[in-house]
Amino acid sequence: MGVVIREVIVLNAGVVTVRFDGVTKRFGRQRVLAGVGGEVRPGHLLVVAGPNGSGKSTLLNILAGLLRPSYGEVRYLDGDVPLPRDDWYPRLGMAAPDMAPYEELSALANLRLFARLRGCYNGDGPLGTLLEELGLAAAHHDRLIAAFSSGMRQRVKLAQATLHLPEVLLLDEPSANLDADGHLRLGTLVERLKPTTAIAVATNDPREIAWGDAKIELAG
Amino acid sequence: MTKDALKAVLPWVLGLWLAGVTVAGLLWAPAAAGFHGDSFRIVFFHVPQAWVAVLAFCVNLVASIRYLRTRAPLDDARAAAAARLGMLFAILATVTGSIFAKLEWGMFWNWDPRETSIVILLLIYAAYFALRQAVVDEERRASLAAAFAIFAFVTMPFLIFVIPRVYSSLHPNLVEATQGAVRFKMDPGMRLVLFSALAGFTGLFAWLYSFEVRLARVLAARHSREEA
Amino acid sequence: MRRSSLLAESLAIVCKELASELRQRVALSAIGLFAITTLIAVAYQIGPYSLAENDRPFLLSALLWIILFFASMAGLARVFVKEEDAHTAKTLRLAARPHAVLLGKLVFNLLLLLALEVVVVPLYCGLMGLRIEGVLGLVLVMLAGGATLSISATFVAALIARASGSNTLFPILALPLLLPLLVAAIAGTRAAVGSPELGAVLPALRAISSLGGVTMVTALLLFPVVWRD
Repeated sequence: MGVVIREVIVLNAGVVTVRFDGVTKRFGRQRVLAGVGGEVRPGHLLVVAGPNGSGKSTLLNILAGLLRPSYGEVRYLDGDVPLPRDDWYPRLGMAAPDMAPYEELSALANLRLFARLRGCYNGDGPLGTLLEELGLAAAHHDRLIAAFSSGMRQRVKLAQATLHLPEVLLLDEPSANLDADGHLRLGTLVERLKPTTAIAVATNDPREIAWGDAKIELAG
Repeated sequence: MTKDALKAVLPWVLGLWLAGVTVAGLLWAPAAAGFHGDSFRIVFFHVPQAWVAVLAFCVNLVASIRYLRTRAPLDDARAAAAARLGMLFAILATVTGSIFAKLEWGMFWNWDPRETSIVILLLIYAAYFALRQAVVDEERRASLAAAFAIFAFVTMPFLIFVIPRVYSSLHPNLVEATQGAVRFKMDPGMRLVLFSALAGFTGLFAWLYSFEVRLARVLAARHSREEA
Repeated sequence: MRRSSLLAESLAIVCKELASELRQRVALSAIGLFAITTLIAVAYQIGPYSLAENDRPFLLSALLWIILFFASMAGLARVFVKEEDAHTAKTLRLAARPHAVLLGKLVFNLLLLLALEVVVVPLYCGLMGLRIEGVLGLVLVMLAGGATLSISATFVAALIARASGSNTLFPILALPLLLPLLVAAIAGTRAAVGSPELGAVLPALRAISSLGGVTMVTALLLFPVVWRD
């Protein structure tokens, strides 16, 4: 009985909340973020909007732990327990314009690498299914990324970000270069992950802003 | 005496001390045997400079380790200040050393093990600043520089202690280790001046260093005022 | 929390590096061409007969290591620089633990260096007419020297990849750190050239391996900082 309950909890593993307070970032003399705070949690999608250069990507990088804030604090909370920084990355999925797949590897080889690194590789089958779900036909799976259009690359990036079913998902301009079909598929994916995943999306696209349960508007 | 008054007096004491060391070194210290003329007198400046260059390298190491623990910008400023001063004194030691080498051995440069070591130290300092200049983000600059400083510190002993023993050294040995006991091969008067000079230069380093750290603190304070 | 082992992650990275390199051959051709070009220049200028018999072991050992050293400067930084240039570093940073990245890249660089040594050393000996008395000693010095060189070079590569103008920065930062190794490796090679006894290369071998051990430990301690900040 207890085992079953444990499994239910594991399946709905979306328990990680990302809370941030007073996040300020300075590059040299230039200040990009000034005292930004908020929360990302499962079922409660956070949209980060604002003009170019307002620090959307910087904020997402800080939330991911890729960049240290000049001031302020980011915490990953498992219930009420803050997670050590080493435990952030395994729970995190991210797609951003400056996160390219390896050009010299095929789409499938890229995903295979990241699945192996994250310890969730169970053969090519699930990875192929994920790519198809994102609208990348099987004929393209073994082609090198170098021959891909930017929209196709974006689909590979989204697959990379979600293949390990992350507990925290950070999407920076996720629909960049995507056509109408791609956008629809992205929406379906986000909708499916949302109940169990803490998702933050940095965007200025009105369609994506509409997904948000909360919104941070950064000033330019 | 209050702390502030002490702070105001100390630099004057230091100045007088160094002036005294200079006069004593150039005029009072008895001539040392085995050297051409007065060339040995440079030792009162050369040895303390080399000592401070190494001391600064150690201060830089401590500040770098501290930075990686505390992530306080001031610790990074401390590391950079120590490196700046260390580089200055390494250059001074190199110049005074090669003047002495010219007078004593007839050549400015001999690739003697200790000469080699100080050149490597200079190269490391130069690389340290090249790295700092090439990183824009302040936090990243601080941690990359700290990592390089620690890594460089770890490789230095191999150069100073392991490798040079392959060759014989021209360098005059001031200290002689005989059967476990360390004995100084110097005239008492010369020893007195040399140790005073070492103390004086260490004081000079401490003063310049505190000056740099204070400056960094003021700049940081102004920075955060502009933020607010 | 992590579902993959350090070994599995490191291996995945080595395999990825090998697959990329086999497809593009950038590092291999940079290092190989550099080494061959300098080797030809040296052989043409100096050749087997122009050095005095007494100087030969030392000068030829020094020249060999200078060729190997500068050739490695041409290519070993690529493992990290290309990740930053191609904007793939961030994805890797999130997916793999830092030590797996360091070990994977280190093993790849070591393989690259060993491949270089296998080609260059016999070629050099042939062209310069260098007779090796202690072949086993030379092999050991080359192995230890290659390993220690790739540890420091890989660590410095990770450092400079995160700075601007990284390609010029690499030799500037690596040179002072690698000088002790260079001195010891030249001494070891000279000993192997002159004596068939394994004991002759032992002092150099000890210096190289202790330097390698210390730098490896330091690199493991510091790498997470360099890679993540």
